Amino acid sequence: MRHRRTTAGVFSALLAVTLAATAQPAAAQQPTEPNQVQDLTVVQGDGFATLAWTPVDGATDYQIERTPVAEDGTATGASVTVGLWRPNRQINNTEPTFADAGFAPGNRFQWRVRARLDGDPQPYSAPVGDTTRGHWGDPDVPGPNLRTQWESTLGAQYTNDVNEYAYTAAIDDLSDRVRVVEIGRTLQDRPINMFVIGYPTPPATPEAVAATNPLAVNCNVHGNEPGDREACLIMARQLAFTDDPTTLGLLSKTTMLIVPTINGDGRAANSRGNADGQDLNRDYSLIRQPETQAFVEMVRDYRPIASYDGHEYGNSNTGDLPMLPPRHQNVAQGIFDESQDMIEGHMYTEGAKDGWWACPYGCTGANVGLGEETILRNTLGLKNVVNSLLELRSSGGPTRPDEGNTANNRRRKTYSAVWTFHQFLAYHGANVGDITAARAEAIRFQSANTGRIVFRGSRPIEAYPAPHPGDTPPPLDAPTAERILEQPPCAYKLTEEQYHGARDDGPDGQQTTVAQRLAAHGWKVIKVAGGYLVPLSQPERGLVPLLLDEQAAEGMVAGERIAPTLTGTHHGPLTVSGVACLADATVRGPVQVRPGATLIVNGGSINGSVNASNASGFVLTAGTVNGPVNVTGTIGPVLLVGNRISGPVNVVNTTGVAPLVAGNTVNGPLGCSGNAAGPVNLEVANSVSGPRFDQCARL
Amino acid sequence: MSDTPSATRPTPRRILPVAGATLAAVLLIVVGSTAGGDDGPAGAVPAGSTVTGPLCDLLPAGDEPGNPGSLVDEPADRALQWIPVLTTFEAAVRATGLAEELTPEVTILAPTDDAFAGKFSRTNLDELLLRDTDALHELLRDHLITGALPVAELVAAGSVTTVAGTRLRVTGVGQGARLDEQAETVCADYVAGGARIHVINEVLGDLPTTAGQDDDGHPAH
Repeated sequence: MRHRRTTAGVFSALLAVTLAATAQPAAAQQPTEPNQVQDLTVVQGDGFATLAWTPVDGATDYQIERTPVAEDGTATGASVTVGLWRPNRQINNTEPTFADAGFAPGNRFQWRVRARLDGDPQPYSAPVGDTTRGHWGDPDVPGPNLRTQWESTLGAQYTNDVNEYAYTAAIDDLSDRVRVVEIGRTLQDRPINMFVIGYPTPPATPEAVAATNPLAVNCNVHGNEPGDREACLIMARQLAFTDDPTTLGLLSKTTMLIVPTINGDGRAANSRGNADGQDLNRDYSLIRQPETQAFVEMVRDYRPIASYDGHEYGNSNTGDLPMLPPRHQNVAQGIFDESQDMIEGHMYTEGAKDGWWACPYGCTGANVGLGEETILRNTLGLKNVVNSLLELRSSGGPTRPDEGNTANNRRRKTYSAVWTFHQFLAYHGANVGDITAARAEAIRFQSANTGRIVFRGSRPIEAYPAPHPGDTPPPLDAPTAERILEQPPCAYKLTEEQYHGARDDGPDGQQTTVAQRLAAHGWKVIKVAGGYLVPLSQPERGLVPLLLDEQAAEGMVAGERIAPTLTGTHHGPLTVSGVACLADATVRGPVQVRPGATLIVNGGSINGSVNASNASGFVLTAGTVNGPVNVTGTIGPVLLVGNRISGPVNVVNTTGVAPLVAGNTVNGPLGCSGNAAGPVNLEVANSVSGPRFDQCARL
Repeated sequence: MSDTPSATRPTPRRILPVAGATLAAVLLIVVGSTAGGDDGPAGAVPAGSTVTGPLCDLLPAGDEPGNPGSLVDEPADRALQWIPVLTTFEAAVRATGLAEELTPEVTILAPTDDAFAGKFSRTNLDELLLRDTDALHELLRDHLITGALPVAELVAAGSVTTVAGTRLRVTGVGQGARLDEQAETVCADYVAGGARIHVINEVLGDLPTTAGQDDDGHPAH
């Protein structure tokens, strides 16, 4: 486990920095009473106020009271207990904090905090008064003065579809930093928009965006969980118009992708599912629906390296912000670890500073947060994206007792999501090196097609040390024996009917074929005699069997397992006709791939040259080649990932899809020319000792 | 399915006009209206609009957008959009096309979101909202009473018959009403375009209770 668990000592720097902006008790302090909370401070955030105080010895919890006040400090309304601080809120108890939220932005309040000793209330602290921040953005400046319907109605209404589109279009018009693209349409033909945000302008094409290691937020997959969506709309405006140099610095190095409403039909209907009744967060692997297909194609084209997926959680007695990494055991270890670092290393630490209570999803012992690859959290992990689920706790519950008022409840949820997504951007900026390294290693690992396959089952989430709520981590969800395949096949073979045949899953009239869905995932498929080969040795290897194996828990089609044709040692030249699959094989001689043949090599070594001319497909991953590699005129896919090659490498005149040349170490020149689509490396650089020519000049 | 989304989309009734206007102006209209403008339900509170019940204090009040006074001249289906605990009921009204039955001469017994969550599993609710809208329509008609009746008149009547034909016994409880020993008004006597809206705490009608049958206790992400 790489992620760091911070236990204490993270506060002094923060306090020093923020002291100037911190509201504190009036200078004329009352005499201290026993067990009275001291040193209460209040720092304003967007839609919340962080309260901090010095702990009282023996306190078992603290109550937070808020009173609306006039400028002169006189109360204008009743005092309300708005918060209950419990020790399991944060990873350190030496510096208690509480993010008070739910109030209407811009109003003035006074706060007091008191300790309780085994439920016995102690004297309140001296009060601290402050004016909260109004809705973000100068009301007199076009652009920053935009408001969502949700903001304008003070939370009485959510932003409807028509107003979302108008707000989105206005940001697009008024900010050079924002381009809004329609990534697809819902079943009922609503546009699925995405904010593409960069500074000073976002890159012009998906490929150019991909080169900036973008991060993505999916805001509203369940139509009846709209809190994150409102946060996304607000954050898009902030990013579009902020002058904050830190934020602009982050946006100058990357691109933020925000999909506010992937399930517009469900949002309009206030349903969990889409118009077909499908829970879209059980469809990201199968992509039977146009909404999930659009999202997966976006991931294929824009290649975010990190992501958050927004939800609300129907439980009143857990953390503010339950989170969870991709747990499916086929997810590369480094992607899991980095996701956990984002959650436990960053969000827990920053949450403790700002008073938000992040916790592991499922921490109440509920049977949730498992390994279904149909869930975006896991699907993205299998696509080598560092990511987390984000839940907004639906009800205030005992720790936020003032949320019987629906507007208060909605504001707490949405502003906690605004906080999270800003923290996500900050984490991404500070850790982009680690994230890209984990991603590159994951792509090499997956492409190597080594190790067992788990059809369904999770990595354990270990309990976080007390006092944080780690006593009931999500269920273990280990794979059962029948969900494990110890020896992975080399590829799956699909018949013409399986690949191109009409299907009956998906909405009437809009069913898609397996061919269309695999293309949406961006998988490499090789046309061979009698069907289509899908090699496992590609970047999304962990997901391939989950859709194409007969043993899959929720498969798309039961392909034929194609076993390796050579696993031992071959002496002398090897000529390939038909399909050859070498798994950890040793070839002591040159390899010649004949026209129309397919070669798949996973691991092992070749002592000699490799030449392929007009092959159907050419896949070479995790191999060692002591000799030149020449791949000419390939009709189908070309994959060269994670190899060590002593000699020149040439990929020329490929007539099909863009060759993938990534993560190789080439002791010699790398030349690419005449390929119908220029080779790509998915931002996983090759190490090339010689010159790189033509189409491979930047790989 | 048509290629013209604006023609086919079951667009929620929108509060803001958007066509032809620049957005900044549009949104500023709403911002302005919250401060007491005349564009919609955020204006000043007319006299004689008093809601009663324990939930009223937790709903928009005073000069907040959606306060009871601001809804008096709104059509009932629009007024429902301003009462934030009625998102399920309001969505059900749109899903079933019930708006045309919400005339000024009707009483609406509107269950809260909590009431719906306590009645139906989420799977069941999706089924009703997306597919089984006929059953949902009939359920909603069991929440309508002909005639715009203040809660006091409901109590005085002793019993009422819903548009769907169900007879409900009504007894007084505090300033509110209890319906068939099943539901109580929690914020009664909204006036909207002549109609009366009483927010109630349980779903009426005879559909089976399905709450808790799927993952309702801890709905999975």
